[in-house]
Amino acid sequence: MLHQILSITWKDLKILFKDIGGMAVLFLMPMMFIIVMSVALQGMFDPSDTGQPWHLPVVNLDSGNLAAEVIAQLDSMDGIEVETAWEGEPLTRERAEALVSDGERAVAVVFPADFSECVEERLSDAEARATIELITDPAVSTQFIAPIQGMVLGAAERVAETSLVPARFKAGLAKVLAHLPGETQIPLDRMTIEAEETNVVHVEQVAPPGMDVEVFPNSYQQNVPGYTVFGVFFIVATMAESILREKQEGTFRRLLAAPLPKPVLLAGKLLPYYLVNLLQVAVMFGVAHFLFGMALGQPAALLAVSLALAAAATGLGVLVATFGKTQTQISGLSVLLTLTMSAVGGCMVPTFVMPDFMQTLARFTPHGWAMQGFQDALVRGYGLAGVWPDAAALLGFAAAFFLVGVWRFRFD
Amino acid sequence: MSENIVEAQGLVKRYGDIEAVRGLSFAIRRGEIFGFLGPNGAGKTTTISMLSCLLEPTGGTAIVAGYDVVRAPQQVKRRIGLVPQELALYPTLSARDNLNFYGRIYGLHGRALRQRVDEVLEMVGLAERAASAVKTFSGGMKRRLNIAAGLLHRPEVLFLDEPTVGVDPQSRNAIFEHVERLNAEGLTILYTTHYMEEAERLCHRVAIIDEGRIIALDTPRKLVTDLGGGIIHLGIADGMAEGLLEQIRALPEVRAVTRLDGKVKVEATRAQEALVGLLALFNRTDTDVTSLEVLEPNLETVFLHLTGKRLRD
Repeated sequence: MLHQILSITWKDLKILFKDIGGMAVLFLMPMMFIIVMSVALQGMFDPSDTGQPWHLPVVNLDSGNLAAEVIAQLDSMDGIEVETAWEGEPLTRERAEALVSDGERAVAVVFPADFSECVEERLSDAEARATIELITDPAVSTQFIAPIQGMVLGAAERVAETSLVPARFKAGLAKVLAHLPGETQIPLDRMTIEAEETNVVHVEQVAPPGMDVEVFPNSYQQNVPGYTVFGVFFIVATMAESILREKQEGTFRRLLAAPLPKPVLLAGKLLPYYLVNLLQVAVMFGVAHFLFGMALGQPAALLAVSLALAAAATGLGVLVATFGKTQTQISGLSVLLTLTMSAVGGCMVPTFVMPDFMQTLARFTPHGWAMQGFQDALVRGYGLAGVWPDAAALLGFAAAFFLVGVWRFRFD
Repeated sequence: MSENIVEAQGLVKRYGDIEAVRGLSFAIRRGEIFGFLGPNGAGKTTTISMLSCLLEPTGGTAIVAGYDVVRAPQQVKRRIGLVPQELALYPTLSARDNLNFYGRIYGLHGRALRQRVDEVLEMVGLAERAASAVKTFSGGMKRRLNIAAGLLHRPEVLFLDEPTVGVDPQSRNAIFEHVERLNAEGLTILYTTHYMEEAERLCHRVAIIDEGRIIALDTPRKLVTDLGGGIIHLGIADGMAEGLLEQIRALPEVRAVTRLDGKVKVEATRAQEALVGLLALFNRTDTDVTSLEVLEPNLETVFLHLTGKRLRD
């Protein structure tokens, strides 16, 4: 039985790979889209490259002096213009939140009242951390936020470490002196001031009240999964046309006259297209990784989403095959379905720029779930546990497409 | 081992109100070429589909190679070879790849598969083109390869469904020779066609089928002999008086006279002699003959005689 499934699979793969035009649609077309769209839309997804200075509202509530030092450092950096006042008034936290939520500014920084105090506490408490808040607009791509976050963190770390050095040196010297009487040799490692295991300062991204912080993709993280999902669903037309050809050319009839159970024949027809889907994903992500340096995030999660995505695409292929009586009908229906679902599902335009009802609509397409799954793994760094709802939704689509498809399927 | 390799009893196939096959009963003997002769839509392919376990009969029974087609389809399928009317081949694959694939489906592999593929390619004269893509083949070559694919697993009986459709006369002759050779090697063949020449040349026995029924079943020679020496169709101006009909019936070599679609059908034991008598009679009675057609005795005329229709209408 397995031998028969593999024979049909091998035969179909041979036919597929001899079809240059079909291969171009499945591999070259999405690759072309990935390259063109990623490069063309880089400015949209990575606006930090534009050369314009960032206006950075900063609220200083610190009762000590350290925050002021950090602000001075930030102000001296190229590309950043610190704003500590707004319309002549010193900036307050409320005002900064309003600036972000009104869209006047994408991000604002708040140094809390105990900032200096928390840094100094680090001397006596290794767990002590000073917090700086970044108020961000959730609709702004992570690419806007990440450089600001890095610069604020860098400046704060430098100021904090500098302020702690004299006190640490004193403490280290005291330890050494304590060992001197009665000890002929002082172990060197005891002289070393213990390295800090955690950063003194960390920056926490927060949203204005009532809004959640989200992480957004860059150009490659949007377009690579986007046009991969788009391309994967082109298997629907290829597969449905192949099934129709087998019916029209009598090869199904001949195969069914052989001792070949129908489920085996169907499995043999599904497997090659499932494998081609996986190959498509591997090629697209591989090229994006090795050629454009796109990080692959969580590979296990990517694999899980890919396996479920390929099942949904081949399931849809079986279903579409049951609706077309001619090659033209099948290709028309496939193109209509795949293009519409790709657009709605956020393959071409990210869903976060869509209105709410469109974002809801995306949840009714396998494309939407696949995009979310891929971006959870690529952008948000989710592992298997994080992407299982996306994979489960895709498997749900696969099961529904397949069951209705098999119910409607006729071999002649 | 039973003398009959196929035994059908009261076979019926109904699609809703339409009865495609209406109670066919026949037996095919081991080693013979058995023909199904009938026009398109007569029920030949439907019958083959039931014998190949592709369609379940609505009624009746069929035993093929000792197994019931409904109760033991897998056993039947192992013992039959079906060559469908369509060219059931993959055009972009080579002849060898096509045969390798079908061979694997029947469980052949390794050296046994390679040997058998070589054998059947040799049998149908395509060994030299084994590596060529099927789409580069002529119609006749594709038909031969179509037959080869049905032979891979050494079936006990081969169902050839209209194997010469769309091929030139030369290729048709080549196919006839292959069919005769296969039969000479002991293979039983069920051959369906709507070309009476094929049935006459190839088949040991022929079942003439029309509208889902067998209307005659015998050797081609017997069917033709039973009909007699031929049929003469006459068109006569101003109709024909009953008296003239009686005079025609009385002529030597005339067996029967009937009116048919405004014409007169004369069945003769020897057509040429009957024609001489007819012409003399029309001369004598000053009858105005508008058309005259002499149909030599063959299966076509048998079909025409039995159904009033031509095979290729």
